[in-house]
Amino acid sequence: MNAVETMDLNVTLNGREVLEDINLSLEAGKFMGIVGPNGSGKTTLLKAIIGIIRPASGSVKIFGMLPMEAIHGGIFGYLPQSQKVEVNFPARALDVVLMGTYARLGMFRWPSKKETARAGDILSMMGMAGLENQLFGNLSGGQQQRVSIARALINNPRLLILDEPSTGIDVVGQEDFYHLLKGLQKKMNLTIIMVSHDVGAVTSYVDEIACLNKVLHYHGSPLGALNDTVIKNLYGKSIDIMMHTDQCEKCERLKSGHRH
Amino acid sequence: MDTGTSWLVDIFSYEFMQRAMLTGALLALFSGIISVFIVLRRVSFLGSGISHAAFGGVSIGFLLGVNPLITALIYSILVAFGIERISTKGKLAEDTAIGVFFSSSMAVGIVLVGLSSSYNVDLFGYLFGSILAITGEDARIAAWVTIFLSVVILLIMKELHFITFNEELAFVSGIKVRLIKSVFLLAMAIAIVVGIKLVGIILISALLVIPGASAQLLTRRFYRMVVASCLIALFSAVSGVIISYRFNLAPGGTIVLVLSLIFFISFFFKTNR
Repeated sequence: MNAVETMDLNVTLNGREVLEDINLSLEAGKFMGIVGPNGSGKTTLLKAIIGIIRPASGSVKIFGMLPMEAIHGGIFGYLPQSQKVEVNFPARALDVVLMGTYARLGMFRWPSKKETARAGDILSMMGMAGLENQLFGNLSGGQQQRVSIARALINNPRLLILDEPSTGIDVVGQEDFYHLLKGLQKKMNLTIIMVSHDVGAVTSYVDEIACLNKVLHYHGSPLGALNDTVIKNLYGKSIDIMMHTDQCEKCERLKSGHRH
Repeated sequence: MDTGTSWLVDIFSYEFMQRAMLTGALLALFSGIISVFIVLRRVSFLGSGISHAAFGGVSIGFLLGVNPLITALIYSILVAFGIERISTKGKLAEDTAIGVFFSSSMAVGIVLVGLSSSYNVDLFGYLFGSILAITGEDARIAAWVTIFLSVVILLIMKELHFITFNEELAFVSGIKVRLIKSVFLLAMAIAIVVGIKLVGIILISALLVIPGASAQLLTRRFYRMVVASCLIALFSAVSGVIISYRFNLAPGGTIVLVLSLIFFISFFFKTNR
């Protein structure tokens, strides 16, 4: 079954057509990257998929369900682009992870000891052991992302959606983060959709890539996206793509530099 | 009996003082809960807007000869939802919408008060608070409304915390964001109108902002912040009423002065920790 399927999706925001005739499908268990220049409608597409933005025409199906049904079925794990949380907002890393359980618990019920223990376990799995009681707003960008992933995972979602998750994380942190996602995809049989402006990084980790600039220019295997015609259509000019591989010399150097 | 403290015993023997204390305590506890979210959601200007709009509602009550507390409740709830609707539609920025409703409702109030043939002393009670002169009927309305709404807010507190943290995330995870926000807005409008009895329209913002702001300085945990905010509001209301009685001061102003003092102590404590 397809995890995501959009049919002739058109989205208009404030009278401006942002997405035009998007037909996209993603098999369950796959990792898809969505790339495109700024203002190409990447975030809008994600928001249409999770039902925050209603399409002008066309439809979105998530595991055969409407987005609202998928929301209430706890299908989504979502990481928005930026989380402007004030430094002193009273929510610890552990509290934020537990927020992921609230909808399932329903009103008038609070997380039990079992849920709190599970939240702690998932934080440890994300490499955040010992930081449970830190205020979320006090954590670094990379740590906040890990807590947010933990929050998304505690509900056992089937579809993880990430909007520019590498913003505010250094190069080494980004590589680690993509590895983490790749590991989660296999371990939890997750379907993942990730928006990024970093074409090179994305192509090294994803199973499929969608190149978006109002219309869908390309959808398929990552290597096909590096075709010059696709890039030209997408960005309006020829550009060099920096490929990231598992053996990244610069990263190794940076990593060893960090250790010293 | 020791004459030094006999006045304190006196206070609790008067029926009007018992009523003022009990109502004041309930209003303070409720404001303490709401205050946390007003501070975290940064909607204190909406709070001032609604409280000034309540003046329009009060004047309608005077003109029609109905209990002004009731007309102010209805009017303020309508204004609160009106502001929210206009700003969520994206036609106007929220602070612009508040500014318009705020001043036009005050104008309605001023015109209607001018029209009422009899000069009404009660008006000052609404502007500056009149907890010592609260009637049995108003005390009963305030008590039931605050008890009911406190329970409701406590029951949806974890959802409110999540929505305040990030509304979009809460929505995608399946929280009924619109319902919870509407309940909060309703509770906030009601807290403001009944709180007017305690400190008056002019000073109600203090009761809505200072308990939560002081509590945030004292603790980093959310639920402790709620408890601290309630205790601060409760202490200020009770001690404010006692001090104002003892030294013959205006109760509304005294309560807010106690609140302000707690805030500055908390601020000092935080910056020197």
